[in-house]
Amino acid sequence: MSDPALGLLMLALIVVVIMMGFATAFTLMGLGIFFGFIAFYVPGESWVHNKVFDLMVHRTYGAMTNDVLISIPLFILMGYVMERGALVDKMFYSIQLAFRRVPASLAVASLIVCTFWGIASGLVGAVVVLMGVIAFNPMLRAGYDVRLASGVITAGGTLGILIPPSVMIIVYAAVAGESVVKLYAAAMLPSFFLSFLYLLYIIGWAMLNPKIAPPLPEEQTKVPVPAGMYQFADAYSQNTFVAILKALLSPGRASKIEVDGKRLTYPALVKNLIIALVPFWLTAGTLGTVWWYVMIYTQKSIASTAEEAAGLQQLGSAVVDNTPTPAEMGPPENFLMWFGICAAILIFFMCRYYYRVNVEKFEVLKLLSSSVMPLGILTVVVLGVILLGITTATESAGVGAAGAFLLAFHARSLNWQKTKEAVFLTAKTTAMVCWLFVGSALFSGVFAILGGQALLEQWVLALNMTPVQFMILSQAIIFILGWPLEWTEIIIIFVPIFLPMLKHFQIDPVLWGVLVFVNLQAAFLSPPVAMSAFYLKGVAPKHVTLNQIFAGMMPYMGIVIVCMVIMYLWPGMTLWLPKYLYGN
Amino acid sequence: MTVQRFIFAIDHVSTWVGKAVSWLMLVLTIVVCVEVIKRYMFGMPTAWIFDAENMLYGTLFMMAGAYTLAQNAHVRGDFLYSSMRPRTQATLDLILYIVFFFPGIAALIYAGYDYASYSWHIQEHSNVTADGPPVYHFKTVIPIAGALVMLQGIAEVTRCVQCLRTGKWPERLKDVAETDVIEQQLEHSEYVDEESRKIAIERASQIDEEARQRGMGDKLT
Repeated sequence: MSDPALGLLMLALIVVVIMMGFATAFTLMGLGIFFGFIAFYVPGESWVHNKVFDLMVHRTYGAMTNDVLISIPLFILMGYVMERGALVDKMFYSIQLAFRRVPASLAVASLIVCTFWGIASGLVGAVVVLMGVIAFNPMLRAGYDVRLASGVITAGGTLGILIPPSVMIIVYAAVAGESVVKLYAAAMLPSFFLSFLYLLYIIGWAMLNPKIAPPLPEEQTKVPVPAGMYQFADAYSQNTFVAILKALLSPGRASKIEVDGKRLTYPALVKNLIIALVPFWLTAGTLGTVWWYVMIYTQKSIASTAEEAAGLQQLGSAVVDNTPTPAEMGPPENFLMWFGICAAILIFFMCRYYYRVNVEKFEVLKLLSSSVMPLGILTVVVLGVILLGITTATESAGVGAAGAFLLAFHARSLNWQKTKEAVFLTAKTTAMVCWLFVGSALFSGVFAILGGQALLEQWVLALNMTPVQFMILSQAIIFILGWPLEWTEIIIIFVPIFLPMLKHFQIDPVLWGVLVFVNLQAAFLSPPVAMSAFYLKGVAPKHVTLNQIFAGMMPYMGIVIVCMVIMYLWPGMTLWLPKYLYGN
Repeated sequence: MTVQRFIFAIDHVSTWVGKAVSWLMLVLTIVVCVEVIKRYMFGMPTAWIFDAENMLYGTLFMMAGAYTLAQNAHVRGDFLYSSMRPRTQATLDLILYIVFFFPGIAALIYAGYDYASYSWHIQEHSNVTADGPPVYHFKTVIPIAGALVMLQGIAEVTRCVQCLRTGKWPERLKDVAETDVIEQQLEHSEYVDEESRKIAIERASQIDEEARQRGMGDKLT
C-alpha cells in the first residue's frame, strides 16, 4: 500500500472510530503513533529510535507552549465565573419589562438574554435548559405559539458558541495560525448581525400575525413601583429625573418619604441620581471611546512609529514595515459626518428618554442597571481592550477573568463553593480541548508526512472548481460533520484539512473561518440531530412534542443560511473591522 | 480489596492531582493581571513572564488529563455510542483502549522520558528570551502526566471489564458538572415558580444524558 493511500486509510479510520464513541484525543494519538511508526520505518533501525516518538513529544511540547491556546483556560474561567455570578432570571425579568411594549416581548427578551449569555459562556446545554425553565414556560402560559417559543430558545442558546469571546474562535486561530484578535474582530459584526436577523424575524412574524404572540395580561407587564416613589413624584415632579434634581436642591420633603421601608435620605438621592445618569454615561462613553480611538489614540501611535522609523536602522534588524493600518491613516473620509449623524441620533434618543422618564421607566432602569449592566460592562471592556489592540488576547482574558471574580464578589453571588466549582470545571474543559489538540497535532503531522494531505489537495484541485463551488462544497461538508460531532472535533480535526486549499482558491482564511462558525450554528439547529432541541424537550411540558420544537427551529436554520449568503456576497461585513483595526 | 475500591483508589489519585493543579488557574490569572499592571501602568515588563505563563498553562492542562478521564469528560463522538447498551459500550471501549489508548500513551511516556532526561542532562534553559528560566522540570511534566493518564486508563479498563461482568457501568466519583449551573441559577430564583424549578434541578443531569442520546435512547420516545 502506498503512503498516500495509508494516509487516506488513516482519515477513514478516524471517522469510523470517532463514531464508535471512543475519547477522540486518545484515538488520534493511537492512530498517529501506528501510522507514524510505519511512515518513519527505516529497515535495520531499532524500533526505539523511530522518529515518530520525537514527532509526538515535540507536538505535545508545542501545545504546552502554544501562545494562542494559553488564553483558553482564562476565557473559560471567565465564562464559568460569570455564569455562576450573574443572575439570569433577574436579567430576563428586567429585560422583559424594558421591552414590554414591543410585539412578542417575551421572545424578544429571551433572545436578548441568550445573546448576553452567549457573550459570557459558551455552553449550549445549560443555556437551553435554563431558558427553558425561565422563559419557555411563561411564553406558553402567555399563549405564545409553541414553534415561536421553542425556536427562539434553541436558536438563541446556540449563539453562545459563536459570539466573541468564544473558545471556538481561539481554537480556530490556533489551528489556522491566524491572529485571535483579527478573528474576534471578524466574527463580531456577523454574530451580532445574526442575532439581529433573528430579532427581525421574531418581531416581523409577530407583527404580521399577532395571534402567535398575544400581548401579556396587564398584571404581568406592571412594573413593581414602590408606593413611596409615587409620593416622591407627586411631591416634586412627574419627570423622575427632574424630581431627583429638585430633591437634591431641597431634600426636606423627600426625607419624609419612605421607599421600601427606608427614608429617602440625601445619600439615597445621590444613588438614584447616579442610576438616572446611566443612559447619559453609556451615550457619552460610547461616543467618547470612538472619538478617542479614531482621533487621538491612533494618531499618537502613528507619530511614535514615524519617530522610530526616522532613527537609525540597526544592522541586520528586520526592515520595519511602516505601512500604517487604515486606522492609523487618520480618520476615514466622512468620519466626521457619520460620527455627527450617529451622535445626533443617540443624543436625540437620550434627551427623549430624559424628557419622558417617569417613575415606572426609572424602576425599569434601576432593575436593568443592577442585572444587566455589570455583565455588559465587563464584556464590553474585555472585547474593547482586545479589539483596540491595547493588550493581547491572553492579557485581556486574564483581566476579564479577574474582573468576573470582582463583579461576582461585588454582587455577593459567588461563594467559596462556586469558586471551587468554576476552577475545577475550567481545568476539565481546558484539559479536554488541549489534549484533543495534542492528539490532533500528532495526527495531522503524520497525515501530512504520509502524503494524504497532498493527495486530497490534488483531488480537489483536479476537480477544477471555481472558488464559489469550493466554498459551497467545504461548507456543506462541515455542515454535515456538524450533525454527529461537537465543534471541538470539527475545528481541530477536519478544518485543518481544508485550510491549505484555501490559498489556491484565494479565499481569505478569516472569512472562511467566520463562515464555518456561522455554519456550525445551522448544523446545530438541524433536525433531527440538534442537541438543543432535546435539551429543551427535557424541561418542556409534556404536551410539547419534539416535532413542534424541530418545526420551530427550521426557520432559524434558514436565517443562518441567509446570513451566510449575505456574508459571502458582502465580505466587507466580516472583513471591514479587522482591516480597519489592523490593516492587511 | 474489591474491584470497585481499586477503581476508586485510582480515581482518587487522578482527581486529587487534577484538582490540585486546577489552582494554577488562579495563579495564572493573578500573574497575567500583575504583569498587565506592571507593563501598562509602570512600563516595567518582566522578561521571564512569558515562560512562566506557558509553564502554568502547560502543567495545568497536562496534569488535569487524568482527572478529565476519570470524570469521563474527554470529548467523544457519543452520537451512536450513548444509545448502545452498556455491554456493547464496554466491549467497544475495551478493544479501543487496548488498541489505541495504551500504545499511544506508552509512546508518550517513553518519548517524554527521553525528552525530559536529555533536557535535565544539558540543564536546558528557555530560549524565548536571553537568559531564560530553566525548562527541564517543565518538560518532565510530559512523562508524569502520561503516567497518570496511563494509571487512570487501567482503572477505565477495569471499569469496562466490570461492566461486561455485571452489565452495568460502575459508578464514578461525584464531581461538579456543567449542568450544575442550572441548580445554582434556579435555587434562589425569585421569578420562577417553585414546581418547575424543582423539576429542572432534579432532572438536570438526566436531561443532559438524554439530549446526548438525541432521542435514540430508550427513555425518550
